[in-house]
Amino acid sequence: MHEMSLVEALMDTLLEMQRRQGWSRVSRVTLKVGKLRQVVPEAMVFCFEVASKGTPVEGASLEIEEAPLVSRCTRCGREWSDSESLGLCPFCGYADVDVVQGMELLLESVEVELDSAEIGRN
Amino acid sequence: MPRLVEIRRSVMEADEEIAHRLREMLDRRGVLMLNLIGSPGSGKTTLLERSLIDPPFRSAVIEGDVETTRDLDRIKAIGVPVVQINTHGGCHLEANLVEKALERLPEDVDVIFIENVGNLVCPAEFYLGEDHKVAICSVAEGGDKPLKYPSLFHQASAVVLTKVDLKPYVPFDEATFWDDVDKLNPKAARLEVSAIKGEGISRWIDLVEGWLCAKRERGS
Repeated sequence: MHEMSLVEALMDTLLEMQRRQGWSRVSRVTLKVGKLRQVVPEAMVFCFEVASKGTPVEGASLEIEEAPLVSRCTRCGREWSDSESLGLCPFCGYADVDVVQGMELLLESVEVELDSAEIGRN
Repeated sequence: MPRLVEIRRSVMEADEEIAHRLREMLDRRGVLMLNLIGSPGSGKTTLLERSLIDPPFRSAVIEGDVETTRDLDRIKAIGVPVVQINTHGGCHLEANLVEKALERLPEDVDVIFIENVGNLVCPAEFYLGEDHKVAICSVAEGGDKPLKYPSLFHQASAVVLTKVDLKPYVPFDEATFWDDVDKLNPKAARLEVSAIKGEGISRWIDLVEGWLCAKRERGS
């Protein structure tokens, strides 16, 4: 189970951005995880709750959007989503296939609150 | 009033940057790095132990295990430069660990073999800067593993079936195994070895040497 490693890396990025941007709080974190990534969402959420305690990220909800698998044949150009045919085009049988979508592991966006001084200026 | 901030950065960006940096450095030096991934007991260490006794290239090994230096001791015994990483609980290696290990290896090396922590799942998720991932799977594990662990078998440049001397003694559905590798990764090189009997070892060495020559011919 490597979700804790992923969450630790995520927390490093979030806290660094929070410090630099002066956010008072992070209320939501949205990840985009490709279908081929071996990530268990419940494990991510659990690790995130543990790792964010005592930080300005504590209490933020972790949303995980799954990006579907899309493979594309480099010969016939057709696309499909079947993960059992990752390497072979199910239409023309060609063996040179690209995974166009499905390997992402992205920090998509965050929802933040600014500190009160900044709110006053705005 | 909450504000939405779009970011769109890789979660593992920092470690991936290290991996890319390692890869650039090894490319400049013309050094091939391989990431061997397989279950605990699949035969990764034995494959290295038996094949690196007298290969046609200078080799070095980075051993990854949760605990102990048992694998380091085995590789040391055949006279190959080796560094042990102990993760103390981590189920996979990451580029930041490999970076530290590389600093302790000699520079005059042609091929670096990383033996990842025994695990068919998590190591496939973390790029270490390697040129190729190699999937190691033994006959004793059963013929159904590729589709059960598609990410590794899909990414691997080679699938090495080990312990083939056990075929008469354990149920192993060979047709399913290679058919499934076909579905996931028809371009992968396929080898069958028995390290302890010496079968298939020269083909394994030829494969590695081929990768090394191809890398140097490409100039990166």
